Amino acid sequence: MKAAIRHLKRNRGRTILTLLAVLIPVYFLVFMFGFSNSIVSDMFETATRIDTGHFQVRHIERRGMGSAIPLMQDSESVLAALDEIDGVEWRTVRLDMPALASAADRSQTIYIQGVVPEEIAPISSIGDLVVEGTYLRNGQNGAVIGEELADLLNVGVGDEMALLCAHPETGLGVLKVPVVGIYQAPISAMGRTIIHTTLTTARQLARSPAATAVVVRVDDVEGPWDVGKIEAVTAQLTGSLPDELEVLDWRELAPQVSGYMRILQPAMIIFAAVFFGLGALVVLNTLYLSVMERTRELGLIISLGASRWRVIRMILTEAGLIAVIGAVYGALIGVALVWIVEAFGGIPLPGADLADYMKVVGMSPVLHMMISWPQVVVSAVTMVGVAILAAWFPAYRASKLEPVEAMRYVE
Amino acid sequence: MSNNALIQTIDLHKTYKTEAIETPALNGVDFTLHEREFTAVAGPSGSGKSTLLHLLGGLDRPTSGEIFLNGAAMSSLSKDQLSRLRLTRIGFVFQAYNLIPVLTVLENTAFVMELQGVVRRERIRRARAILTELGIEQYADQFPNRISGGEQQRVAVARAVVTEPSIVLADEPTANLDSKTSHELIGLMRRLNEDKGATFLFATHDRRLHDQVSRLLTLEDGRITQDQCR
Repeated sequence: MKAAIRHLKRNRGRTILTLLAVLIPVYFLVFMFGFSNSIVSDMFETATRIDTGHFQVRHIERRGMGSAIPLMQDSESVLAALDEIDGVEWRTVRLDMPALASAADRSQTIYIQGVVPEEIAPISSIGDLVVEGTYLRNGQNGAVIGEELADLLNVGVGDEMALLCAHPETGLGVLKVPVVGIYQAPISAMGRTIIHTTLTTARQLARSPAATAVVVRVDDVEGPWDVGKIEAVTAQLTGSLPDELEVLDWRELAPQVSGYMRILQPAMIIFAAVFFGLGALVVLNTLYLSVMERTRELGLIISLGASRWRVIRMILTEAGLIAVIGAVYGALIGVALVWIVEAFGGIPLPGADLADYMKVVGMSPVLHMMISWPQVVVSAVTMVGVAILAAWFPAYRASKLEPVEAMRYVE
Repeated sequence: MSNNALIQTIDLHKTYKTEAIETPALNGVDFTLHEREFTAVAGPSGSGKSTLLHLLGGLDRPTSGEIFLNGAAMSSLSKDQLSRLRLTRIGFVFQAYNLIPVLTVLENTAFVMELQGVVRRERIRRARAILTELGIEQYADQFPNRISGGEQQRVAVARAVVTEPSIVLADEPTANLDSKTSHELIGLMRRLNEDKGATFLFATHDRRLHDQVSRLLTLEDGRITQDQCR
C-alpha cells in the first residue's frame, strides 16, 4: 500500500488525470441524479398528492363503467382496517365521477372529486392552490374549480353552476352548486377538468351514500424509489379486504407518470454507463502507460520471485486506491454542488415558455435537486469497480512480462 | 553429482532466435558448482556470462541441456515454480537498476522477505541487521536515488543475502562502479561467503577482480574454456 501511494505520488500528472477520470463521472452522476430525482419526485408528488394517493382501495368490478369508477358501499370497514395498519400516514374516502358542468350557455366535461375537506388536506394539494375564494368546509354545498374551468364557464367565486352526472349504477343526477374557490392548477388539463366538492355534495349528485375509493398515503414516502414502503402497507391490507375490493397503487392509477419514470430510469442507466465507460478508458490508458514506464522495475520484481498474482495485485491496489479517492471526492463534490444549488433555491428555468411548459406538465418551473444516498453510494462503488476492472488489463500485461526482457527494456 | 554439488549443468545450450537470425549464446556448458564456493565467470562481452546466470537463476530457459539445483532438474519446473524457486533459493544482484525506486533502502532490503510472507517485525529486524553488518545502516530510510551507485549495489547484496538463499547470482555487479568501489563490493561479497557460508557466482569482465575469487570460470563463445581453482 505504501509503495502504491509512493508510485501515485511519483507521477502526479498521470495520477491527477486518473483521479479525474474517476472523480468526474461520479460527481456528474450524483449531480445528474440530483436533477432526475427531483423531477421524478415532483411528478410523483403531483400525481399522488392531487389525484391518486399512494394507493387506493376500489371496487373490483369495472365492466361497463366507461370512465366512471364503480361504487363501493362499505368504505367504513376499509377505513377501520387501515387504522389497524402501521405505516399509514393518512386516508380518506372519495367519491369521484365524470360529469358535465354548465353555467349559462357554456358547458364542459369535468371530473368531480367528492372529498371530506378536513381529511383531504394532507393528501391533496388543491386546498393550497386556491387563489380566489376559499377551500371547502365540511358539509358545505359548493365547488372549488380550476382557473381554466372558471374561464371556460365564465364563472367566478359566488356564481352558481349546474353539475350533471350520469353514473352507470345510480343514473342521472343534477345539482346546482356555488363556486366557493378557484385554484391555480399545476397542470392546465387538471384546471379544466378536476373540481372538488364535499363528499356530501357528491353523494347528493350521485344519489348514493357510497364512495368510489379510499385514498391512502403512506408514511415517509419521498418518491417512487420508496415503493417498498407502499407495498409493505398494501400487503398488510390485502388480506383483510373483502373479495369485491382491490388495492390499486399509484402506478396503476397514474400509468402515464409511471411510464415516464420507466423511460427515465434506463435513460439514466445508459447515461451512467457512457460516463463509466469513458472513465474506464482513461484509467486503462493511464495505468497501461504506467506499466510501460515501469517495465524494468516490474521485471526486477518478477526476477526477485514475485508471483504473477502479486504483480496483478500491486497494479490493482494502485488502481483501487486512486479509484476510491476519486470516487469519494467525486461523491463529495456532487453532493456539495447539490446542496449549494438547493441553498440558492434551485435553478430557475430560463425563458417564460419553458417555465410555462413545466407547469403544464405538472412540474416546478424551478429545477430543484435531491440527493439519494443509495444512488451516491452506488455511483461511487460502481465507478471504483469499473476502474479496477479497467486496471485488470494493464495488470495482467504486467504479470506476463518476461523478467529478462523487461529488465533490458529501455524507455 | 558430488555430495555438496549445488548446481550442475549438463550440455547447456542457449540460442536466441529472431525471424531471420539464430544467435548461439551458450554452446554446451558443463560445470558443477559446490556449496560455499565464491566463483566468478569471466569472459569478454558476448561470451554468454549473463545468459548463463539467467539460466541458472531460472529467469530464462535453455534451448537444450539441463540444470540441476540441489539435484532437482529445473527444466521440469513451470513458470510459477521457477518464480517460487527464485524467491526461496536464489539471491540476485544485477548490473544496474537493482532497487525499487519507491522503496527505501530498508524496504528494498526487506522486499524479498515481504514476498516470502515474513512478518513485518521480523523482516525489519533482519533487514536492519544485514544493513548494519554491511555498514550501510545509515541509509536505511533513504530512497535509492539519494545514495551512490556503490551503496546501491551494497543494498542489492544485502537484499540478496538477507533471506539466506542457496546461491547468490550477481550479473556484472561492478560494471558501473569505479575500481575502488568494485574491490570493496567484491570484498564484501567475499566476507559474506566466508562468514555466512553464502555461495556466490558472479559474472565479471574486470580482470582486476579475478584474484579475489576462489574459482574462476572463463567463458568464450558460449563454452567454458578454463576452470581455475585458487
